[in-house]
Amino acid sequence: MTSSRPVNETLTTPSELPGEGSGEKQHTRGRQRWGAMDLSLIAVFAALLAASIAVPGINVGPLGVAITLQTLVVILCGLVLGFGRGTAAVGLYVLLGLVGLPIFSGFRAGPAVLASPSAGYIVGFVFGAAVVGLLATMAVRSHWRAAALFRAAMAGTVVIHLFGIVGFVMKGMGVQTAVVADMIFLPGDIIKNVLAVLVALSLHRAFPDLLVRRRK
Amino acid sequence: MRGHAFLVAGYVPGNSPVHRLPLGVKALLLLAVAVLCLASPLVSVRAGAVVTSATLVVVAASHFVAGLTWPRIWRAVRMMLIFLVLIAAYQWWQYGPLVAWQVIAAIVATVLASNILTATTPVDQLLDGLAALVQPLARFGADPERFSLTVALMLRSIPFVIGAFADVRDAARARGLERNLLARSLPVVIATVGYARATGEALAARGLGDPDDDVE
Repeated sequence: MTSSRPVNETLTTPSELPGEGSGEKQHTRGRQRWGAMDLSLIAVFAALLAASIAVPGINVGPLGVAITLQTLVVILCGLVLGFGRGTAAVGLYVLLGLVGLPIFSGFRAGPAVLASPSAGYIVGFVFGAAVVGLLATMAVRSHWRAAALFRAAMAGTVVIHLFGIVGFVMKGMGVQTAVVADMIFLPGDIIKNVLAVLVALSLHRAFPDLLVRRRK
Repeated sequence: MRGHAFLVAGYVPGNSPVHRLPLGVKALLLLAVAVLCLASPLVSVRAGAVVTSATLVVVAASHFVAGLTWPRIWRAVRMMLIFLVLIAAYQWWQYGPLVAWQVIAAIVATVLASNILTATTPVDQLLDGLAALVQPLARFGADPERFSLTVALMLRSIPFVIGAFADVRDAARARGLERNLLARSLPVVIATVGYARATGEALAARGLGDPDDDVE
């Protein structure tokens, strides 16, 4: 785990920022195109997102509160795959969910999700992963890797929650009610961020070339 | 395998007029519902309430024409019931009952309409529709083939990831770590990344998924 990696070896992605849901369409633009490995990682992380809502929540602590891993995996996409691929993975997941695969929480599917009050979170996932990925690419090179990764994760969480609140308000909820309804999820998400950072640290240790590309 | 439930979950087989409509027509109708519900209140509050109520009635009628049941409506509404109540209360308090009704009816109508779309169209048809949508983007540098490859990879990875979740749960239970979040999630993600890389290498070995022109 050396910290002396050349800066320019990081996987860079097309400079145009992928819009919501259309992230995966961008993957052929730009100078540096994604190879088979990148496509595979994008696809499998999107599958991980889809699977994370299908498995029963994990009961944690003495009270056995069920924790689902969905938001954790969204953050993880950014932390592990970086900006371009992370956004694409979450974008692919959201796109296929909107098209009609029952892969949103509660097995919801289709454009209905955009009409429902919690639509803001779904849209926010894409932008949250983008923010996390952007910061994570810098974070893996910093000396305080864990702290930097956690900062990146928290930034993403803030983005997702902001989108969630805006979504509530756009569907006609009062701002204060929306903030309160949103804050209920915040403590759980912070715990999940700690976990996401632990997982990401292990992953970067197990697969050192995951985010920082080796020169062939 | 359990994961394959994903490919059928939303679809209700049938031979109703709604089932027989081409996907494009259904998508346009769904768009029309959304536009009617969102644009009509811009004319006047009364017009908005009338048009939205009428739309809701038409949507509900086609729900039953498609051979779908009451519990299905209830299931869709129940998922967002708390939010609907919060929104209705706020709108009533701020703007009166008519606006509150319009807002709620608009949400329910669009959610129901898109549920009808996903319930009457098999998922593979929806995915074909998505691929057809991406096709024209080839002009702007998108690559429909690689996009479809990524979608296919994602779909076939879902059962693997769900299986990984189950394996890891059993392993954690055997070690008495059933409530340990890290022991439940980290091995899943590591297995998933390993799987993604194996898939990526297999694709590369077969010359699949890499960009056509050699940029690197």
